[in-house]
Amino acid sequence: MDQERVVVTVNGVRYERMVAPRRLLSDFIREDLGLRGTHVGCEHGVCGMCTVLVDGQTARSCLMFAVQADGTSITTVEGLGTPTTLHPLQQAFWEKHGLQCGFCTPAMLLTALELLSHNPSPRRDEIREAISGNLCRCTGYQTIVDSIEYAATLMRGGGR
Amino acid sequence: MTTQQTAHRWIGRSMKRVEDPRLLTGRGQYVDDLSLPNMAHAAVLRSPHAHARIRRIDTSKARAVPGVLLVMTGAEAAQQTGPLPCFANPPVTQHCIAVDRVRHVGEAVAAVVAESRYIAEDAAELIEVEYEPLPVVMDPEEAMRSTSDAVLHPERGPNNIALQRTLTFGPVDEDFATADVVVRRNLRWPRSGAQPMETVGALASWDEATGKFTIYANTSMYNYVGWLLAVSLKVPAHKLNIIPTIAGGSFGSKLFTHKVPVLAATLARACGRPVKYVEDRIDNIMNCDNHGSDRIYDVELALKNDGTMLSLRMKVIDDYGAYLQFGVGHHGNALAQLTGPYRIKSARVSLTAVMTNKGQQGAYRGFGSEVNNFVVERMVDAAAEALGMDPVEIRRKNFIRPEQFPYKIPTGNVYDSGNYEAVLDKALEMADYQGWRRKQREARAEGRYIGIGLVSCQERSVFSATEFWFWNHEPGFALTSSPDSVDIKIDPTGKAFVRLHAPFWGNSPETVATQILAEQLTIDPADITVTYSDTDSGLPGTGPGGSRYTVMVAGAIAGAVKELKAKMFRVAAHLLEASESDLELRDGRVSVRGTDRGLTIGEIALQAHYFKLSLPADVRSGLDARHTYDHPYTTLPNADRTDMGVFYPIMGHMCHIPIIEVDIETGQITFLKYVAVHDAGTVVNPMTLAGHIRGGTVQGIGSALYEHYYYDSSGQLLTATFADYLIPTLMEAPENIEVGHVVTPSPYTEYGIKGGGEGGRMGAPAALASAVEDALRPLGIKIDSLPIRPVLLREMIREAQQRRP
Amino acid sequence: MKPAPFSYVRALTVEDALSALVEHGDEAKVLAGGQSLIAMMNLRLVKPRCLVDINRVAALDYIRLDDGTLAIGALTRQSAAEASPLVARHCPLMREAIRHVAHRAIRNRGTVGGNLAHADPSSELPAVAVATDATLVARSAKGQRTIAAADFFVGPLTSALRPDELLTEVRLPPWRPAGQGWSFMEVSPRRGDFALVGVAATLQVQDGMCQAARLVYCGVADRAQRVPEAERALVGRRADEAAFREAATIASQRVEPRSDFHATAAYRRDLVNTLTRRALAQALARSQQSGA
Repeated sequence: MDQERVVVTVNGVRYERMVAPRRLLSDFIREDLGLRGTHVGCEHGVCGMCTVLVDGQTARSCLMFAVQADGTSITTVEGLGTPTTLHPLQQAFWEKHGLQCGFCTPAMLLTALELLSHNPSPRRDEIREAISGNLCRCTGYQTIVDSIEYAATLMRGGGR
Repeated sequence: MTTQQTAHRWIGRSMKRVEDPRLLTGRGQYVDDLSLPNMAHAAVLRSPHAHARIRRIDTSKARAVPGVLLVMTGAEAAQQTGPLPCFANPPVTQHCIAVDRVRHVGEAVAAVVAESRYIAEDAAELIEVEYEPLPVVMDPEEAMRSTSDAVLHPERGPNNIALQRTLTFGPVDEDFATADVVVRRNLRWPRSGAQPMETVGALASWDEATGKFTIYANTSMYNYVGWLLAVSLKVPAHKLNIIPTIAGGSFGSKLFTHKVPVLAATLARACGRPVKYVEDRIDNIMNCDNHGSDRIYDVELALKNDGTMLSLRMKVIDDYGAYLQFGVGHHGNALAQLTGPYRIKSARVSLTAVMTNKGQQGAYRGFGSEVNNFVVERMVDAAAEALGMDPVEIRRKNFIRPEQFPYKIPTGNVYDSGNYEAVLDKALEMADYQGWRRKQREARAEGRYIGIGLVSCQERSVFSATEFWFWNHEPGFALTSSPDSVDIKIDPTGKAFVRLHAPFWGNSPETVATQILAEQLTIDPADITVTYSDTDSGLPGTGPGGSRYTVMVAGAIAGAVKELKAKMFRVAAHLLEASESDLELRDGRVSVRGTDRGLTIGEIALQAHYFKLSLPADVRSGLDARHTYDHPYTTLPNADRTDMGVFYPIMGHMCHIPIIEVDIETGQITFLKYVAVHDAGTVVNPMTLAGHIRGGTVQGIGSALYEHYYYDSSGQLLTATFADYLIPTLMEAPENIEVGHVVTPSPYTEYGIKGGGEGGRMGAPAALASAVEDALRPLGIKIDSLPIRPVLLREMIREAQQRRP
Repeated sequence: MKPAPFSYVRALTVEDALSALVEHGDEAKVLAGGQSLIAMMNLRLVKPRCLVDINRVAALDYIRLDDGTLAIGALTRQSAAEASPLVARHCPLMREAIRHVAHRAIRNRGTVGGNLAHADPSSELPAVAVATDATLVARSAKGQRTIAAADFFVGPLTSALRPDELLTEVRLPPWRPAGQGWSFMEVSPRRGDFALVGVAATLQVQDGMCQAARLVYCGVADRAQRVPEAERALVGRRADEAAFREAATIASQRVEPRSDFHATAAYRRDLVNTLTRRALAQALARSQQSGA
């Protein structure tokens, strides 16, 4: 099958690649761009591990073909902070123990980022609703909600 | 939150995790994140049949696909690679790709290596397999009577019974004869599993020049029994290096991954290129070798009329599926706390382990003891009801009392310490138990069904090795060691390097090691770095599992630090011209007690590394130590197995009180409150312990209400995707699991720590069963079986309503 | 698992898409949001030879009011419909139902048209379309036709669309706010899963009397199923608990649900009964709020 050209901006960096139409966006991000922070859990759209932001909106990258991302701007976990300069969301997850094995964490962070981008002061039930499509097998979710609630205060410029 | 003693500086603190910054930024380096130059990708063809002979495999079309490097059948693989490790005796032969016969749906029939996973899957679809269907054995009771072609492993005997044995501990018959009341129930625990978000994977390479394999894998136990993979691969153990990667969750299921690494290595050797094989989710559900327990119980509890528990008898049939990798170790595990926290004097277990055409059992958080907790607590609730006693009071009456520890239970295991009433009382208070009983009465008057569950469960921790084999009639390899090690060096600048010999699998080994080492050396955690060994460099390490790692690594660190301190004191005494007995280690400095004369650890380390001529003559250069810490208290079983010895003595405890409401029209359950009080001894990090409790509790809720590997009668797995295998989302979890701690330090471990990694899942299923039964008491509904899915609960409610309109 | 290979056509206009459908015939599938299709392709349950991607057909992404009729372009994302003030005002039933469709990330990609064209019998939007007497607009190279929702859903994952047709718009007739009550309720295994049973209910109430009613179910048949017998039990009667009970009983007797792992037929009947009663009660409350 023919290859298709994809031009995409990921975390502010422009990439141009040729891809087979069937190449999943998740594999494109992980393998073609080498951004391994986007994880794959089920590849049938249930677990939410592979969630990224496409033009600011959450999408499951296992349910998109890379070719469909042509011309879009994508944010992955690598577009947030670094280990020494964590994004407030990452800082909050660290302080509130919002992760254990860390496998669901990138998707949780990006899903939370989408929520906070349009709702800077979410109630707990709004946080719960927002991340209800992302599975986590370690935490029981409660500290993830705590983390996002705390991140909202950090991002609003508040302290503890 | 805790009543933690304050004598410690770092132990007992909710320190932020050392592991997190790299995980938070997507730099975890999970196995699927690794790649090697020239790496190829593998996919497997899964069997659509539950039981069949493989008559013929034609791989020609698959081989012809451009980009395909290798197509391998089981017969071809078996020419190079032997059976997988098996701890049962006699062993059950399992290959990384099925040879001649498939024994469950999803078993690998062939593997393809290609330039990409896409191409490998394209080619796998083109493999033509001719199967001769064999009788399918799905019902465990039927499996006991299977003959001829319905026998899965004819070389092991003429039927599908893997092991049948009765163990009697104490005067069971006499105790039953003197009982006033015998409560009997048939209970069913269904097959569920860990399903971590990351599946099992391996990246293997073969160096033809050295004849050596390198395998990156998300496995534990690589320093315990990793060499067994070399046996499977038919190379000497020093020709295999297993490099652990972090695991995206395990919950037991990555305790010892063997099939995936052996398959990847076999393929790598055959095609001369590094090969990555990562299970997809369907593989992991169908073929992960780690389904949980699947048991049918017939249980009797003998009591006096006043509620005094006397004796426990159980017959259990356990459906192990198609293979038997860990033998019946799960039932060994359950013997650790067979009689719960109660003064039950005798017990008998009749076990029949059977083999059927399902995925094989492995490890899942609890390893069989979560089932035993469910059984014991169901029986206690049944006894309370039969005797008209309050469920709290019957427990209180029978608890082992604090002054009775160490306490030997009928099976021979010893409970080190505990204060069960303190845990119970704290939970009752946190839950406002009496208040909810009142609300429950009011709600019932309005036709609402609120239920208050309550369980008091044991939380055994720190496994030793005997549980794996002591059920066997003829133990195969009757090992008795389960050590863990660290090596620590302090470099010339005074920084501490600690190397662990077990992996990260979602727990917090780096954080725990850092806190304990900081405590021991009185240094700042920021001056500590943690790394992991591989098998080439590894010391004895059993690794996490059975809630053991925190206890074991603490012991290992303490042992290594003892040696380091001796050397530092020796050097410091020499340099300070002081007596060693006058020295103390405080705030990272060895100083003469009562003076300001001293040397920092860094100053001592610099001297130790570079100034040999300034050291006492018999002191070698450097500042490092290694220590292997053995299980603190384990003994052998006796010959006739009337006493299994001490094998799981570090005994935690918990009380879970879920308060739920049942919508009787839909069968749906909602949480109103959830309280979990645990005693895990001295707490190293309250935050991470609470994380385990909450996470384990939600997994337990999954086991209790949602999750089921459900096979139909033809052997098809109907829940083979995440759309049907129902892991709780946040919406199914309680909003707030209120965690409390009671601290009863262990007398046998460093700092008095007990393990707490499994507790949530060891209590929640029993607690949910108790809560639902309590809610539906007006309808007379008994909860004897899990998961309590709405469809099943509604059927029971409908029948009950028809019984008493 | 990874999807099988296919060729890819990116349509920029409706005409592009239609000509591609003509060219590739029934070997082609339309790729809209892809949230069901790609999952099925990844599992290799479906292997289309060609995908016609309509995600760049901007002309199909709109929500507007045409003479009181709410017109929703087929490419409108479910999350856009969920957030739309027009939808909230002119078809609150749809807004409520969309919230049961999976989760936010899925709704960000999933489209209103794709959901309808996929014709999943457990899905929420087909029930809404039938309950509201929606009209579906289909175009092919030969022209345009409109299909009543009642005729659009033919069977499991089967719609009345021909292989060369593209669903371009769903049209929802004017919503009568006065005295109009509505409710969408469902029971699913977990939040966000497909419904075991869902009900879309509307109730027109005046002076406490039921003027009109609609009861449409998902999850109980091979397509969204309306139960007119239950509706008739309501019309002309006082809208009260007794009437709701009767309608619910009739509905639960009329449906012929299947049994599967997640729900037996008997359980589904029970859910039809319970959800009908509860949905009608909520619809009644809302009709009172909307002032009749």
